[in-house]
Amino acid sequence: MTLALDLALCALILGVALAAVAGAGVFRAVIFFITYGLFVAIGWARLGAYDVALAEAAIGAGLTGVLLLAAHGRLRRMQADTTERRSPTLSAALAGGAIALALGWAWFALPAPQPPDVAQALPQTGVGNPVTAVLLNFRAWDTLLESIVLLAALLGVWMLARDADWNAPLGPRYHARPDGVLAYFGRFLPPIGLSFGVYLVWAGAESVGGAFQGGTVLAGVVLVAMMAQLLRPPRVSQAMLRAALVLGPGVFLLSGLAAVGLGREFLSLSPAIAKSAILIIEAALTISIAVTLALLVIGPAEDPEPGR
Amino acid sequence: MTLWLHLVALGLLATLAGALWRVWRGPSQADRMMAAQLVGTGGVGVLIVLAALQDWALLVVALALALLSALAAVGFVKAQTPDGAGDPEEQSAHHGGQYHPAARQKDGAT
Repeated sequence: MTLALDLALCALILGVALAAVAGAGVFRAVIFFITYGLFVAIGWARLGAYDVALAEAAIGAGLTGVLLLAAHGRLRRMQADTTERRSPTLSAALAGGAIALALGWAWFALPAPQPPDVAQALPQTGVGNPVTAVLLNFRAWDTLLESIVLLAALLGVWMLARDADWNAPLGPRYHARPDGVLAYFGRFLPPIGLSFGVYLVWAGAESVGGAFQGGTVLAGVVLVAMMAQLLRPPRVSQAMLRAALVLGPGVFLLSGLAAVGLGREFLSLSPAIAKSAILIIEAALTISIAVTLALLVIGPAEDPEPGR
Repeated sequence: MTLWLHLVALGLLATLAGALWRVWRGPSQADRMMAAQLVGTGGVGVLIVLAALQDWALLVVALALALLSALAAVGFVKAQTPDGAGDPEEQSAHHGGQYHPAARQKDGAT
């Protein structure tokens, strides 16, 4: 019976992926891609990778959907050419298939790796969730650089603004009827989302959750509040905004340097203070991730009526 | 009990397949979007059943999906308004209820 369930899930994932790539129409592809994220999240849940399932559900089914739908709406308003060029599809499919085959061959041909047992070293890391232990203790370098990459991506998006618009508020001027459904939703969701996001960060030390997942949920809350015209979009020049963006990478980097100052290796955590250090770093990272993701979705500064 | 839960999960996946058919067929963009929302709701259901089968920690994933899958619908509604930032409710007030958003029209090739 488990096999039937897994086979049905695999068939759905493959079918949705194929429909997103092969079907005609940009909008249909966008919707299939949103549902694809959801099925992949269920797939990760079946595989027991709950932290990955959580990240995929929050990013794939939540934020990416808003981003792609906004992009599609903008293309339509600009009356851009959305007809697809059919010619490279076959070669791309062949290249993708070849890579998949090569990866599959490598998986079977290579000897099984003997990874170090995370469970044995777990008591020294200060946390009970092996994923958090790897992200913030064993391989803190990766996580530090990833948090900086996220910041660089946001700077890249901001570069797309016109020079004259640089000091304009970020993103579109969202507006909504003050007593309408959207304004109600914008007041209803944030309290729940805020508590849930904070819970995810706190619980991430011991069970499913983490700074990235919690930050994504908080970014969703910020987006809803902005779209319901309850939160004004910030400007690039705001000092508080810039502080929030660099808080996570900054605290992370400072904690790494503090370890050097105490005579340990860069980014290493003493087992005695590991738990509190990880929680402080994660709290700072969460704020930066939440603000960065929300601003990535709403886009660069733009003035809808230039010259006004 | 386990067998029964497996059957429920399979049944829920079957309803999702039905929703996917509507995403494929359309014909309007609103049809596709509403079907995607149905997939979101069904996905929450599947995750809750999987939580009962595997590990109750999965409820957190279901909760995240329930909270955030509605975001796509908000983004869709925003993108349908003339400036991409509005609210159809404002539009219907301006036009005396005579507003026909692009979402209701047939999807065509875009």
